[in-house]
Formats: sequence, structure tokens, C-alpha cells
Amino acid sequence: MKNILDFLIDVGKLKRKYRKGWQVHQIKDSESTADHIFRMTIIAWVLGKKKRLNMEKVIKMALIHDLCEIYAPDMTPYDPLLPQNPKKAMKVLKSWPKFTPALKKKTYRDKYRREFKALKKVTLKLPPDLKTEIINLWLDFEKGLTKEGRFVKQIDKVENLLQGLEYWKKYGKIQHHLWMRWIKEIVDDPFLLEFLKTVENKFCRRCKHQKK
Amino acid sequence: MPEEKKFYLTKEGLERLKKEYRELKQLKLAKTKGESPKILHSEDLNPEYLAFQEDLNFLESRLIELENILKNAELIKPPSKDKKNIINLGATVLVRVDGQNDEFTLVGSLEANPSLGKISNESPVGKALLGHRVGDEVLVSSPIRTTYKVKKIKYKIV
Repeated sequence: MKNILDFLIDVGKLKRKYRKGWQVHQIKDSESTADHIFRMTIIAWVLGKKKRLNMEKVIKMALIHDLCEIYAPDMTPYDPLLPQNPKKAMKVLKSWPKFTPALKKKTYRDKYRREFKALKKVTLKLPPDLKTEIINLWLDFEKGLTKEGRFVKQIDKVENLLQGLEYWKKYGKIQHHLWMRWIKEIVDDPFLLEFLKTVENKFCRRCKHQKK
Repeated sequence: MPEEKKFYLTKEGLERLKKEYRELKQLKLAKTKGESPKILHSEDLNPEYLAFQEDLNFLESRLIELENILKNAELIKPPSKDKKNIINLGATVLVRVDGQNDEFTLVGSLEANPSLGKISNESPVGKALLGHRVGDEVLVSSPIRTTYKVKKIKYKIV
């Protein structure tokens, strides 16, 4: 039981781990990783219900997908471009970060290795069945091994977008049109695309006149 | 019932999945042939047994997934010479969007990995780009409108 308690104390750290992407955007009182996990799990449940998926797996996967962040840094796509001075960061955020295919590959591999190592550390002292289950769920999520894994991976981005649009509405610091562009390159699940239309209509109706 | 859907795969992707399937089958055989942990450890359920079972279930669900994919796989073939200037599955496309250049490779849903520049043909952007040529301006809209200007199309697949 002591090892389980230690694990749960570790998990609690995510309540105070503030998501780097929003901090870079200088969002006041921005969300923690635990906040993101909470709503993402609810989204996975309510939107996943219409699909023929193993919902226990979907919900567990959403719950554990960011556990690695207890020990691994939260990374943003802008990281290699961010200047030392946080005040100058806003300039970088005005366009979507672009990298060479080689750098994309390297960043992707490094992130995967770092996060997998961190997850192994988080689960190290758990009973073997629980440890195996968490690691297998995470691998499924990361690599999209099953339809549940591929669905939850896209839900992660949808929650991220929803939060971004809420911050945009409140603080205006987010380049919302870049985010909407990004999500249309990422999501291909028909249920989620339908949901995204509703999101876009709610948040961006007045954007119609802003862009040609 | 696993979904009956066509899975478009590059030759490389298809080979990789076939290899994974063969290896996982061998692994499953090795795992079930060998001595498995006892279900009970004194009076309690043996966590080693549960972990073994958990791994086996994971292996099994991936094997079912792979069987379904391989059964419904459709190979992405290189286009004929006269169609190389049209965006289709397997094309690597250089576009100009929001004042920036960007490059995508259009793949099927299973191989999509936007972090690596591989986008799904079922995503709104992937779908909109299909069938276009160099010089075309492709509009992805409602209500935010984004225009992708096609600058170059190439096929790396063989």
C-alpha cells in the first residue's frame, strides 16, 4: 500500500503542474495538467459513447496519458524557437512553428524517449499488473495501436483547442485562426470533425469577417 | 465486430505492419508455450499472473487489430506518369499558407502523424488538397477560411 500511496502523491503533483503552452502565452491563472486530463476524460467519455469503442479502455487511457509529465517536461511545438526573454515570446507565437523534416523527426523521437522513461519511473513501484496496464495503455495512446488509442490521441488535441479558444475569448492572446488551421490538419475522426464544426461555430462565427 | 473499413497504406507501412504481425504471433506463441505464473500466490491473486494476463490481452487486442487492418489494407500505389502533377495519396506537397511554406505528405489515417508532417487523407486539409495541381488555391473554410496555395507536388513512393 505504501507504494500505491507514493504513486498517488506523485499523481497529485499534476494538479500544480501548469501547462507550459499557456504560460508561454502569458495566460493568467492558466490550467494545470490535471485540469486538462479532467476535461479530456469527460470529452472522451461523452463523445466516445457514440462510437463502438471499449469505453473502459478509452477512459483509463485519457486518465493516464499525461502521467509521464510528473517527471518529464511539458513540451510545446514552439520550444526550439522560444527566446530567453519571455516577453519576446509573443512575437514567436504569431506564426505556426515550422521545422525541417529531420528536426521534426528528432523532436518527436526525443519527446517519446523522455516521456517513456518518465512513465517507467512513475510506475516503477506499482504492482506488476497495474504497471503493465498503465504502460500498455500509454503505448497504445502514443502509437495509436488500436482504434481507442487513435481516438483518445485526437481527443487530446480537441481539448487543447477548446481551452485555447476559451483563453482567446477571455484574453485575446491566442492566434485562434492558426489553432483552427492546425486542428484541421490533425483530426480525421468523423465524430470529432462534427464536434469541431460546433466548436468553430460557437467561438468563431464573428471571425467570418476577419479573414478573407 | 471489428470495423470493415479500407486502410490505405504505403508499401513501407504495409511491410512494417506485416512484420509486426508475424513477430507478435511468435511472441504470443512463446509466451503461452512457456511456464506462466501461477494464478494464486498463497491465498491472494498473484500480481505476476495478472501482469502476464494483462500483457497477453494487450498482445491479443493488437493482433486482432492487425488482422483487421491487413485484411482490409489497400496499397497506395505511385500514380501513372500523366497523373504525377495531381495530389493524391502518397504525394508530398509544398504549400504556402498564412504567409508560410509548409510541407505535408498525404497518407491514410493509420500512418498519419502530423508531428512528422504526415497528414491523413480524411482530415479536412488532406481531403481538400486531394485532386489539386500546382498553382491551385485550395480553400478550407467554414467559418474560418484558410487558403493553401499548392507550390510543388512530388511522389517519393515506389
